[in-house]
Amino acid sequence: MSGLSQDMMTPTLARSEAPFATTVSSGDGESGMSFEAASETPLKVALVEDDAAFQEAFRTALAGAPDLAMVGVAATAAEARAMLAEPAVDVLVVDLGLPDGSGIEVIGEAHARWPGCAIMVATTFADERHVISSIEAGASGYLLKDSPLPTIAQDIRVLHAGGSPISPRIARQVLMRFRPDEKPAEQVETAERPGVPSLSEREKETLQLITRGFSFEEIAELMGVSRNTVLTFVRRIYAKLEVRSKTEAVFEARAYGLL
Amino acid sequence: MVSSSGRVDRPWFAWAFWIISALAIGAVVFFVQAGAGGERITVARLSVIDTVGYQPPPEASLRAVGGKLVTLPHAPKPDFAPVADPSPQRIATRVTWYALTVPPLPDDGRQLYLYIPRWKSDGSLAIYADGRLVSQSHANLQWNGSNQPIWLALPHAAGSHPPRTLDIRLQHVRGIGGAFSSVWIGNFRQLAPRYYVRDFFQVSLPAFSVTAFLATGVFSLFVWLSRRKEPIYVLFFLTSLICFLRMLHTFVGERPLLVSDAWFGWITINSAYWLGAALHLFGIQLHRGSQPILTRVLLINTGLWTIATLPGLLDPTLLAAPIYVNLLLLGSVTAFNFVRLSIKARSRFALWLAVWYLVALVFAVYDVGLQQNLVNIESVFLTNFTGVGLTLLCWYIMFSRYIEALETATQAKADLARRLAQREAELTASHARLREIEHRELLHQERQRLMQDMHDGLGSTLVTALRAFEGDRAADLDAVGILRGCIDDLKLTIDSMEPVETDLVLLLATLRFRLQPRLEAAGVKLVWEAGEAPPLEWLDQRHALHILRILQEAFANILKHAGAREITVSVRAEEGQVVVRVQDDGRGFDPAAASRGRGLANQRNRAEAIGGAILWEPSYCGSRLALILPVKKPSAAASHERSGA
Repeated sequence: MSGLSQDMMTPTLARSEAPFATTVSSGDGESGMSFEAASETPLKVALVEDDAAFQEAFRTALAGAPDLAMVGVAATAAEARAMLAEPAVDVLVVDLGLPDGSGIEVIGEAHARWPGCAIMVATTFADERHVISSIEAGASGYLLKDSPLPTIAQDIRVLHAGGSPISPRIARQVLMRFRPDEKPAEQVETAERPGVPSLSEREKETLQLITRGFSFEEIAELMGVSRNTVLTFVRRIYAKLEVRSKTEAVFEARAYGLL
Repeated sequence: MVSSSGRVDRPWFAWAFWIISALAIGAVVFFVQAGAGGERITVARLSVIDTVGYQPPPEASLRAVGGKLVTLPHAPKPDFAPVADPSPQRIATRVTWYALTVPPLPDDGRQLYLYIPRWKSDGSLAIYADGRLVSQSHANLQWNGSNQPIWLALPHAAGSHPPRTLDIRLQHVRGIGGAFSSVWIGNFRQLAPRYYVRDFFQVSLPAFSVTAFLATGVFSLFVWLSRRKEPIYVLFFLTSLICFLRMLHTFVGERPLLVSDAWFGWITINSAYWLGAALHLFGIQLHRGSQPILTRVLLINTGLWTIATLPGLLDPTLLAAPIYVNLLLLGSVTAFNFVRLSIKARSRFALWLAVWYLVALVFAVYDVGLQQNLVNIESVFLTNFTGVGLTLLCWYIMFSRYIEALETATQAKADLARRLAQREAELTASHARLREIEHRELLHQERQRLMQDMHDGLGSTLVTALRAFEGDRAADLDAVGILRGCIDDLKLTIDSMEPVETDLVLLLATLRFRLQPRLEAAGVKLVWEAGEAPPLEWLDQRHALHILRILQEAFANILKHAGAREITVSVRAEEGQVVVRVQDDGRGFDPAAASRGRGLANQRNRAEAIGGAILWEPSYCGSRLALILPVKKPSAAASHERSGA
């Protein structure tokens, strides 16, 4: 058994340093992005989750953060849709396994109705399939369900400020999706297809470094850019992933004569 | 060429068709003949004058008053083997005059014709009407087309139409020839039916059939050219070619020949031998037997005659009779041998061919009789028709073989399709079975792997925690820590299920991603020196989990015991190996110490299971663990050791 289990990670400890690649460090003063900016109006946060235990933990996490306000909770996809009819929130956290539907659809609808809202998918394992599907539907990050409560609050702040987490496996998967030689026969076709974004060299380099285990700070140093620039790259990559998936869908629909 | 298993479901109407056709032809011939007329002259006065060499016929006939009264057709008995000087100038010849009196015919102004079914003589022929020469032969002396009936338009001059007398002059080798058939006189309507029917059966039919037979033979030659290993095809061609040569004399000779009499006689007479030899060889092929003695006798005999009768040596034309007798004897032996063989070989076609051979033999006996003037010279050479029979028979054999081949091909195709379908079904079934086995095996291995892993890790931790709670020692426990450890364990297990596609650095990155929060929580700095690592072809899920667990244990040990501030992880490729080093700046430890024996043994076992090794390298401060992994696939024995444990 791993001896790590003996080394408890206490909430106070986790507060100061962000976990690798999941959040943007709040202590990074030079970044110019301060996520602890004293905001008079707290961020409005909503949760779509059927598990009462996590709802409770989430509430607790937000209760301890004065800058975050829990404005809505939906336990089903239907409730979530009802919630979407109301005014937009700043951050929406969605669990994928809802009793009456897929959280992916909720994310898609939320992204359409609340374009300014930062959407996170709540996941235990951050497995790339679920996370990438969510990002393609319009999410821009994920929340690890087993994170300590202050980390949850911090992750929400970071996401809202433009920082997206990414794991090496997700980076790898994204790289593969954008690889031009994936379908050599369609290469020319793809090149001619307008609206399908491709990754810039810098973005590719960022992803490659992430797959090799480097943290945002290390990547920034290796690439000679600021940490914020790296974060921007990631957010942009996510945006391209979403656009790409939509364009692909349209293109495929055309190819099959649906459009 | 022939299969013994002929088709037995022969439709009866095919036979009916042939029978009706034959009857219809017979009826047509009968009715055509029935409408014929004309006057037949069967009485003549015969006078004979011996001469030497050949002289042209005189302008006017020598109307001899005397002469012997004979009945036409008339044929003197020929010598069996006349000996004659080969030179046409010194050969002993004879002029035979036939003087005929034409019965009174009404002169209705219509053209009159002479129709002479056969004249049978080596030599020359001249015909006189009312004493004046009206026709004379102008071709070769010996091979002069005497098998062909004569059709002669009488000169339509005033005063001699219709003629009152006819004189026939034959100049021929003394001892043979000089025979003459009856003579018909009449107008076209009266004589044409007689002439055409005879000409068709006596000349045209054998000519057509032997030409067709030769065409079939040429086809067979082309078959042989592409199937050289089957001599039966070339033998068939040779048979047809010889047959053609043999039959030539029945329909050529009316006009001068391209070759001399000597050569033509050589070809015509010897071709009968050649035909016998070719048929014998053909029969041997057909029966798939071998008869060395008979074959040798036949070939030697054929060869001897062929050489002996070369022009300048013996004259085959004069010796035709003894040659034919010799041929008949040999033919009988061959024919009966043929019958015997075909019965033995149980081949229907061969038997038919043998029967044909026998019939041909009987015909040949008859023809020798005709040749020797023993039978009515107005009758027909029957062997000419055996050529027709042979052609039809061979066509039938080819037809049957072709149909059989088509059926065989169809059957083979169907057979092949059936076998293919069967094999495909078998393959599909076996493939499905294999896939199922593979699938089951895979599931089994995966279950083994996860069970093994959980037995050592998650399971035992949870059981320990459970016992503590049961014994009310929960306060001593760091319950949150235990649970977090369990979740980390689970995450690594899940990570190990995702394919990493031989990318060790990606696997290590995943580990960092999972462990970083714990390290940061413990205030330990991680220095990441992920160098380049070559793809590890053997890196599958099972191996990945072993690597993750080894390193997880290493980190846990450092955090638990070393009191380190910084951990450096490096990856380096070194001579066919990849080395992952975990260095800390803590207290260091003695790997032999018993306190951590179980964890270390676990790491060693896992390293061995993936064909690698683990070392604790000496370090100036802290400890340094090196996990050495091979680039190439580890031996199967080593990787199975652990999974079977």
